Amino acid sequence: MRLKLRFVIGSALIVGAIAYLIITAIRSTSEYYLTVSEVAARQAELGGQSLRVAGRVKVGSIAWDPASLTLRFAIVPIPEPAADGAVAPVVATDPVSFKVSSIGEPKPDMFAENRDVIVEGKLLPAGEIAATQVLTSCPSKYQAKRNK
Amino acid sequence: MSQLGSLSLLIALLLAVYSIGANLYGARKQRADFLASARHALWAMCALVTLAVIALWSGLLSSDFSLEYVAAYSSTTLPTPYKFAALWGGQQGSLLFWTWLLSIFTSIAAFQNRRRNPEIAPYAGAVLALVAVFFLGMLNFVTRPFDALSLVPSEGTDLNPLLQNYWMAIHPPSLYTGYVSSTVPFAFGAAALITGKLDDSWIRSTRRWAIFSWFFLTLGNLFGARWAYEVLGWGGYWAWDPVENAAFMPWLVMTAYLHSVMIQERKDMLKVWNLALIGLAFALTIFGTFITRSGVISSVHSFTQSGLGPYFLSFLILVVVAYTGLLIFRSRDLRSPAEFESYLSREAAFLFNNLVLVGIAFAVFWGTIFPVLSEAVRGVKITVGPPFFNQVNGPLALALIFLMGVGPLIAWRRTTPRNLIQSFAAPATLGLAAGLLAFAFHIRAWYVLAALSVAAFVMGTIIVEFRRGVSARRHMIGEAPATALVNLVAKNNRRYGGYIIHVGVIVAFVGIVGSAFFKTEVKKTVTQGQSFAVGPYRLQYLGVLPIDTPHLESATANLLVSRDGREVAQMAPAKLFYKRQQQPATKVAIRSTPFADLYVVLAGLDDSGRQATFEVFLTPLVFWLWGGGLLMVLGTVVVMWPNVRERAAIAVALRSAADSQIAGEPAPGGD
Repeated sequence: MRLKLRFVIGSALIVGAIAYLIITAIRSTSEYYLTVSEVAARQAELGGQSLRVAGRVKVGSIAWDPASLTLRFAIVPIPEPAADGAVAPVVATDPVSFKVSSIGEPKPDMFAENRDVIVEGKLLPAGEIAATQVLTSCPSKYQAKRNK
Repeated sequence: MSQLGSLSLLIALLLAVYSIGANLYGARKQRADFLASARHALWAMCALVTLAVIALWSGLLSSDFSLEYVAAYSSTTLPTPYKFAALWGGQQGSLLFWTWLLSIFTSIAAFQNRRRNPEIAPYAGAVLALVAVFFLGMLNFVTRPFDALSLVPSEGTDLNPLLQNYWMAIHPPSLYTGYVSSTVPFAFGAAALITGKLDDSWIRSTRRWAIFSWFFLTLGNLFGARWAYEVLGWGGYWAWDPVENAAFMPWLVMTAYLHSVMIQERKDMLKVWNLALIGLAFALTIFGTFITRSGVISSVHSFTQSGLGPYFLSFLILVVVAYTGLLIFRSRDLRSPAEFESYLSREAAFLFNNLVLVGIAFAVFWGTIFPVLSEAVRGVKITVGPPFFNQVNGPLALALIFLMGVGPLIAWRRTTPRNLIQSFAAPATLGLAAGLLAFAFHIRAWYVLAALSVAAFVMGTIIVEFRRGVSARRHMIGEAPATALVNLVAKNNRRYGGYIIHVGVIVAFVGIVGSAFFKTEVKKTVTQGQSFAVGPYRLQYLGVLPIDTPHLESATANLLVSRDGREVAQMAPAKLFYKRQQQPATKVAIRSTPFADLYVVLAGLDDSGRQATFEVFLTPLVFWLWGGGLLMVLGTVVVMWPNVRERAAIAVALRSAADSQIAGEPAPGGD
């Protein structure tokens, strides 16, 4: 019986160590994952924080300089899909938008106006996002558009 | 053709439902005729699902765009091999493919057990048929592969360009084979719980299935990593994306299972644990499909957000609740008479290795669902990225590999300290030497030093094991060293095949550490004729070659690679543009050597082609990852190789089972 207890303790120690690793790693690596509107609502508390922002590339906002690998654009909220599944057009004068700058990274393949992107980076005090990474999600998401 | 397909799926569903009933009734009333009929129903189901697959394939091959699926995932210009692969390129097709594999494996299992395991096989058959009912129900009523379009388009929208790749054509079939074949051991485990026949016969009769499943999960993960490396063009092979995690978790749990069943076979311990593991492995395969198909968790290379989520979640909950209920119901009968005797025993090493494997699986699970949890609990979506997974799994991987070296060398039950020193003195010295050597080469990262020491230590233990075996054969039988080695592996293929897998794991681990810690990256925009340096290499941009075909447009850059002033290679990374999907893609150029991979991406190109942007990675030892993977595959083949002795043992067991039946002893039945 004694031995059994020893094994329970040994196993508990291992489980505890794994739990400790998970908890500390979550603390040190977690990032907010927000939409553009959520960032706008909590702008004050988010300054300087690492975050991931999901948004849509604003029409007419892209500036790309290949020589210095500098990409600047603005993101606006992703509109809710309309009931029939068609995507409503983005209004160019959307009130909420954030400037994004990405320096030293090549322009992603599928990056274009009106595409949905996830921007990883820090929110600067001026309300600009300094991106470390810009991820484009494939518009079709492996699913063909329905042409019915 | 499409009516034929949907009709066969409907009849297949009815047959699966019938087979559940016939199996249960036949088992309860000891009616061999009903059991035979249940088996035949499963075989007929398999034939009908096969017919449906052929129907969809013929639709894809003949570009029959009246089928919505064909119009959505194929086109007239899609190369023929990818028309076959389009079967698993979309949701309906991949579920059909899944169901097909399930029906094949179910039929094989039913055939293997037509005379074997008379007590549990019918219940296992019923469980397999139940899983088939779920998938066939989805195909018949929720996401139908044979839906027709009222307006037939003249051209299809084509397969996603990211899927038009060799690795992507073979990655999903391997992974699905691994996923689906785990259903067989799961069904036998469930049958053991239902019938209360809780000895290790369910493990023995599905041992090959479990290894088969693990083999294909391993292949599937490797192919997926290779695909990510060659196609996604970011220089890495693993990003801890939810889709990758979904494939990795069942592999981890299956690995734990394959080790812990050895303890049950040898020591009759860990019964509950083994049943729990196989249940978990199966639940994780359903969970994987759930997260990739439901859109609950956002993934960069995400699949479609479809209405399948609730169905898969309901099925998952049903499986978990029913199975856990059975485990609790039988918990009294599952107590092991034997107990652990010492920390310094092989049982203990296996137990701790299991805890670490399941711990890694749990950490991966936690990190994957963390955004959903944080949103539910705190109202804010918080994600954890690759740093989380690396930070947690790095130390756990070290512990795991260390235990991998300890387990095989330590005795069952208990080891004396003297034995311990004898066994481990040489490997420990080797490990220490490797660490010091790395230190002398100016490596200071503690993790790398620890990883290399542990890897060398485990290699040492494996060498010791092989040497012991060979020298025993040489002394007792007088064989020459090479003959002794071959015979050693051939006569004990389970054990030494396992060691070959371990060597593969270590080689792959060294590759992972090397590529993770010593990768260098250079991004540069250059004009034609200009060159730039990457590590010891110089890359000169010579120009670009545009090609235009009906299927795609491409621009291939030409780079001259030299080292110390001498030309070593020409590399040709390209940008592709798939016309049907209006989607660009990247074709990377890789020059692979055992020391390092030079990985070149054409990241940008101006309209004239004079100016190009390159992203270049120099990744050490990534070659070893694939080499290690190959060794793991080879080792698994050795493990699975039919062993004469084992066959004889099975034959004896079968004969005695048959004798007892002929004697008319009713098998101790039901509950």
